[in-house]
Amino acid sequence: MRRPTKQNTRQETRTHVNTESEKTDLKPQTSVKNVLASVKLTIFLMSLTALTVLIGAWCPQESANGKEKVVEQFGAETAKLLTQFGITDIYHSPWFLSLIAMLTVNMIACSFMRVFPRVKLLNKPLPFIGGREIGKLPVNTSVNITKGEKSAFTAIALKLASKGFKVSTNEERLLAEYGKYGRLAATVTHIGLLTLLVGVTITSWTGFSGFQPVLLNSHLDFHESEHSKLWIGKLPDWTVRVDETRREDHPTGEAKQWFSKLTVIDKNGKEVKTQEISVNNPLSYDGVDIYQSSWGLDHLILNFNGNERRLDLRPMGKLYAAFLPLDQDTMMLFSVRADGKPIKVFAKRPDWEGPRMLTELSKDKPAKLGPVTISLIKTMPVTGLQYKCDPGLPITYIAFGFIIVGVLMAAIPHRHVWVSFENNVLYFGGRSVKDKVGFERLIKAFETQLTKDFGEPKPEISLETQPNTDAETQQSSSSQSSDSDAQAQSSSDADTKKTSSPSKQNKKELAASAPGSGNTENAQGDS
Amino acid sequence: MSEMQMALTNTAGITSVMSFWVFAASNGFKQRKDLMVKIGSGAMVLAFVSLTAAIIIRGIDAQRFPLANLYESLLWFAWATMGSYLVLAKAYGVRQLGWLASLTALLMFLYGSWLPQSQHDIQPLVPALVSYWRWIHVPPLIVSYALFFLGGLAGFIQLYMAGRIQSLITAIVTVCLALLAVVLGTFTTVDTAWLQILFAGASLVGSVISFKLLQRVDKKIGDAKLAEVYDDVSYRCIAIGMPALTFGIITGGLWANHAWGTYWSWDPKESMALVTWLSYAAYIHLRVHRECSAERLALVSIVGLLLTLMTYLGFNSLGLGGLHSYGKFK
Repeated sequence: MRRPTKQNTRQETRTHVNTESEKTDLKPQTSVKNVLASVKLTIFLMSLTALTVLIGAWCPQESANGKEKVVEQFGAETAKLLTQFGITDIYHSPWFLSLIAMLTVNMIACSFMRVFPRVKLLNKPLPFIGGREIGKLPVNTSVNITKGEKSAFTAIALKLASKGFKVSTNEERLLAEYGKYGRLAATVTHIGLLTLLVGVTITSWTGFSGFQPVLLNSHLDFHESEHSKLWIGKLPDWTVRVDETRREDHPTGEAKQWFSKLTVIDKNGKEVKTQEISVNNPLSYDGVDIYQSSWGLDHLILNFNGNERRLDLRPMGKLYAAFLPLDQDTMMLFSVRADGKPIKVFAKRPDWEGPRMLTELSKDKPAKLGPVTISLIKTMPVTGLQYKCDPGLPITYIAFGFIIVGVLMAAIPHRHVWVSFENNVLYFGGRSVKDKVGFERLIKAFETQLTKDFGEPKPEISLETQPNTDAETQQSSSSQSSDSDAQAQSSSDADTKKTSSPSKQNKKELAASAPGSGNTENAQGDS
Repeated sequence: MSEMQMALTNTAGITSVMSFWVFAASNGFKQRKDLMVKIGSGAMVLAFVSLTAAIIIRGIDAQRFPLANLYESLLWFAWATMGSYLVLAKAYGVRQLGWLASLTALLMFLYGSWLPQSQHDIQPLVPALVSYWRWIHVPPLIVSYALFFLGGLAGFIQLYMAGRIQSLITAIVTVCLALLAVVLGTFTTVDTAWLQILFAGASLVGSVISFKLLQRVDKKIGDAKLAEVYDDVSYRCIAIGMPALTFGIITGGLWANHAWGTYWSWDPKESMALVTWLSYAAYIHLRVHRECSAERLALVSIVGLLLTLMTYLGFNSLGLGGLHSYGKFK
């Protein structure tokens, strides 16, 4: 009889105390431990974090868009102000990081002091209770059994079982539970969130990522990679050589796919792995993934009458172009569409309307411009390689799994039903923290069915438990008849009386017992 | 857009208008009320069925999963709103929610029909969207948005039933101003900075005033029993919307890791989804804590509705940009 008795005494006191003393009742002492593990703090921190992220979503972030974007959107003055307050890099600001840190501490404290201890309660058997105690449950009713005697008791047991309840009986008392595992929702979700923290921490302490444009036949090393300030990882001692890189086009000229043939070379200079990568098809070696993320032509090497000269290429729409000023007014332009395609040579003067094409040249076809012979040595492609090492990823994925399962479980309502058969009266009632209305309907449906089959309702039981002091609910029951919604809700009320309707006496109980039951769990969990 | 699809979409639109008026008008009658509610529900079922067919036919016409731009997502949103309402109505018999649900669907149809023709036409997919992740990641999010909307709407009715009329009116004005900002942002060239101020300012001021006005109770209006029902409905919507949102965010992370090489990049849309998630997580903790009155929770669900609106539609129309701009057309 431990739990319900405890709970019921709480209910009794709850109904009579005002909200102020209720709060003090909930928090007997305010130690640091209790503050850290308080749900109030959670809600406060969550709201602040939400607000901060909201600002971060609104203001373009430097890390993603660059400083220019901020200036462009807000003007230099405002941008400076925003930068000063850390809003343009809000996810790395001390404010945000300390919020996350506090939320983490709060979550760990809550998990271990409130959430996890409840798992122990899961298999704790609840007592079978009698008619008097049942009358104090948030939802309860009773039926006078005039025919069939004990078969009514069997009927309700079967009904509960058919509704998915796990039923256990003890002589003429019954206890049924539904959605037991729904109670684990918070635990599973919190385990998931803590696991997520572990995964993210591992990644931020040992992982790294970066981007490096690499020329053909050059090497990717990891020296310019980014990682967090608190870092205990190490960068690879191997490098990656680009052996080949090319672009494949759609017929319309847009890039279809980029390819790079990469070779991993270990610290002794030995070739260990060769693979061709493309967008969405990375190379993985030693926990590092290397992605193809962009592609371009970097420069031209031309030979002017025996003098080699390097000209940097710039992307111009679908083309790449290099510029070579000849004198103050004249400019030579070299444009190339892709590696291996002929190069078009233009000249541009301010008095000409547009650049004029002079000639075309390719590797085996040098061009002669007056006294100068130009030949192409090579066009140099560059491949943009994105790399990352994310050692926490498997843990993060496991965390994702836990979180999804946890929040799904939260949708399962957890319900308890008690039944007792005493002196030809079948008392039954129970509680459901979530989906209260559905539960009330279930109980009412039982009542109607049992009354029809086995006897008549006996309304006195729950009426006499408490005097009705709730003015609001009194008024509500008087206004009920004028609203058809209410009629729909209580269509069965007419013949079964309003004993189980929480809008009457039990409403206060319902409101009070809800915190009561939770608090009981908390209190037991804390101890 | 094939004629069949057009006809079905129009049927859905027209029947949702019908259902709205019948539901709304049913409050003015005493005797024929039940009949009218039945007609309203019937119209809603018809709208739901024809919209389902319209979406399926659009998918067959397009030879792809029909959820790729703003117009298509609006159809889905209307579909999810009506579907969720029908389920709720069956479970709870919550009729007052009916006209609000059909009003929401109706507004989405209107909003969708005002979009330029390019949105209505079936167009090839942007390369970034060619992935099986699209039909795993997006539908749960749309469904969660619809459920959060219904949760907020149930919050409105809860406030009414609890007699918090002044607070309710403030909340309605707030949501209307936020909607106005979204509509102006979508269809006009008003500077988005002003619209952001309108949206954020209205939400902030409106919410604060609503919370303050909760103390003023009009005891002549409402019904405590029904207030409790709608409180429960609101919680139920959010309790089911939350897993859907979480699932959507996480599958988005998996897709991003596959496509962009990182599962979280603080993209504005990601951030907004996180804001929504955090707010509803706070809501659930408020419930667990059980120190918050039902009316306050109703207002929190309305604030959640505003954030959902921001995440879903405000994001593009108020110019937050980022990697998720597929719904943009300007």
